[in-house]
Amino acid sequence: MTGRERLIPYAFLLPALALIVIFNLFPTVATLIESLHGNSLVRGGRVFVGLGNFNRVLNDPIFWKSMQVTGLFSVLVNPIQVALALGLALLANSRVRGISVFRSIYLLPVAVSINVTTVVWGLMLNSEGGLINGMLSLVGIERQPFLIAPTHALWSIIILATWKGVPLWTLFFLAGLQGIPQTVIEAARIDGAGRMQVFRYVTLPLLRGVLLFVLVADTVANFLLFAPVLLLTKGGPQLSTNLVMYETYRRGFVYGDLGVSSAMLSLMLLLVFAVIGVQFTLLRRRT
Amino acid sequence: MGAKTGRAISGAQPLQGLKLRQHVWRHTGERLLIYFLLVLVALLALLPLMWAFAASFTPNAKVFEHAFPFSLRALFPVEFTLEAYGAIFARGFGDALKNSFWLAGVTVVLGGTINALAGFAFARFEFRGKRFLFLTVILLPFLVPVDLTAIPRFILVNTLDWRNTWQALIVPGLGNSLAIFLFRQFFEEIPQDLIDAARVDGASWLQLFFNVVLPLSRPVLITAALFLFLQQWDAYFWPLLVAPRPELRLVQVAISTAVEEHRTRWNEQLAGSMLAAIVPILLLLPFQRYYIQAVTSSGLKD
Repeated sequence: MTGRERLIPYAFLLPALALIVIFNLFPTVATLIESLHGNSLVRGGRVFVGLGNFNRVLNDPIFWKSMQVTGLFSVLVNPIQVALALGLALLANSRVRGISVFRSIYLLPVAVSINVTTVVWGLMLNSEGGLINGMLSLVGIERQPFLIAPTHALWSIIILATWKGVPLWTLFFLAGLQGIPQTVIEAARIDGAGRMQVFRYVTLPLLRGVLLFVLVADTVANFLLFAPVLLLTKGGPQLSTNLVMYETYRRGFVYGDLGVSSAMLSLMLLLVFAVIGVQFTLLRRRT
Repeated sequence: MGAKTGRAISGAQPLQGLKLRQHVWRHTGERLLIYFLLVLVALLALLPLMWAFAASFTPNAKVFEHAFPFSLRALFPVEFTLEAYGAIFARGFGDALKNSFWLAGVTVVLGGTINALAGFAFARFEFRGKRFLFLTVILLPFLVPVDLTAIPRFILVNTLDWRNTWQALIVPGLGNSLAIFLFRQFFEEIPQDLIDAARVDGASWLQLFFNVVLPLSRPVLITAALFLFLQQWDAYFWPLLVAPRPELRLVQVAISTAVEEHRTRWNEQLAGSMLAAIVPILLLLPFQRYYIQAVTSSGLKD
């Protein structure tokens, strides 16, 4: 009886854990292993090539260009989204009549998939007669080549990613703000702190953990952005939107070079772990 | 800041005459500013959807007519027509909707069950390797984005000969770290007395789980179901890789394919997009509390 009893938790765990091991954990390890293999032209199978793929990736100007684009994209999109999300959370945390209606409206972009966002914004940013150019024309600004000029295309991706992303990150900040006891803020106000001071010295320090989480999660999420590039720009014009995630897809599934693609993905995995590692270290230091 | 704070402060330091009037005015001005900003952001959120919705009911040649130069008529169907919807359904969009509903539904039922079982084990049992399993099988995969490990999963699915099958779409998405985590958190709060009572009555653990625990767990079931449903409803990258067969086409793949293959049939692209959007919107709005809980708890997780 006790022997059987001891096995019960494992039986409860088995289905979910087995699937996670097979379809999540194993592929993580295998990505790293696969990156050490290449297509054999002689035997037609997979052969061990050591660090050959990494060698090819790291000597590939297109890969470096895509890293550059991804770096630029990250440096722009993440601070923009995090700042807007924090601002929107402060706004949505106002205690005014009808606030829940506004909060529901702000949830809409969260509900809409990135593909839908891409289709709708792709047409709105149409350089001939899109809605955005239509609005700009009202204030006398000439048509902008949003998706077709190397100077504009990355910004177009940033705009649509921001429309979709900000409301999601707002939810985290809002949850964080609602976790701050009202008495703490009132105490600061009674002590004579102004609105900005309360934000700077009370609210912001209490949101530190959430801020750090959102920064990391947003960075990782934007790192994985793929559909807008595939559907709107195919990495162009002149590789100006060729984000690493799209480059791995192009190499692996358009050109069939799974080894090089895996090597790129391995590098991205290491980057993601590095970012998360930094987050954990910072969080630990706090406690 | 709300009226409450204001009243608390004015209660502490009574305001009179001019000072009071200034206070009231500042308060009204502040409130107006807040509403102005609230409405502005609401418009930013709504405008793309309103235009897309209107344009999806507009003849294709007129999609951009009021967009450039912009007039408010762009937000209403100019010459109301169902031609775009008719066209996409004629090309099989209905099947894509049906497929996505089926995939999401099966995932909710099967995935919900097995993740709840695992969450229960982590919440209510002590066993060897518990901490280790939690860290490696729950936390680690949670941190690794699935898109980054798609290639070996793709090779694995090919090796199993699952390409272009329902299994390829369903099975890899069933075990879900976040769902297990949500269930664990909820089940930890169930009073021990209830479990003991059922055990004394001679219920097996499985009976106890299905007859005692699950009926108490409506909130977490809704949260997890919503999360799993939306995950499959929004699935794009994985189905694109493993199930290109038209009979298995899912909603997100269908709207993307429309962009590739019918680049200038704008109203049809938008019609598909609106149908793909309306389902999660209708699910999310009434259950937003549950959804927000699912999303934000991923951040509160140690």
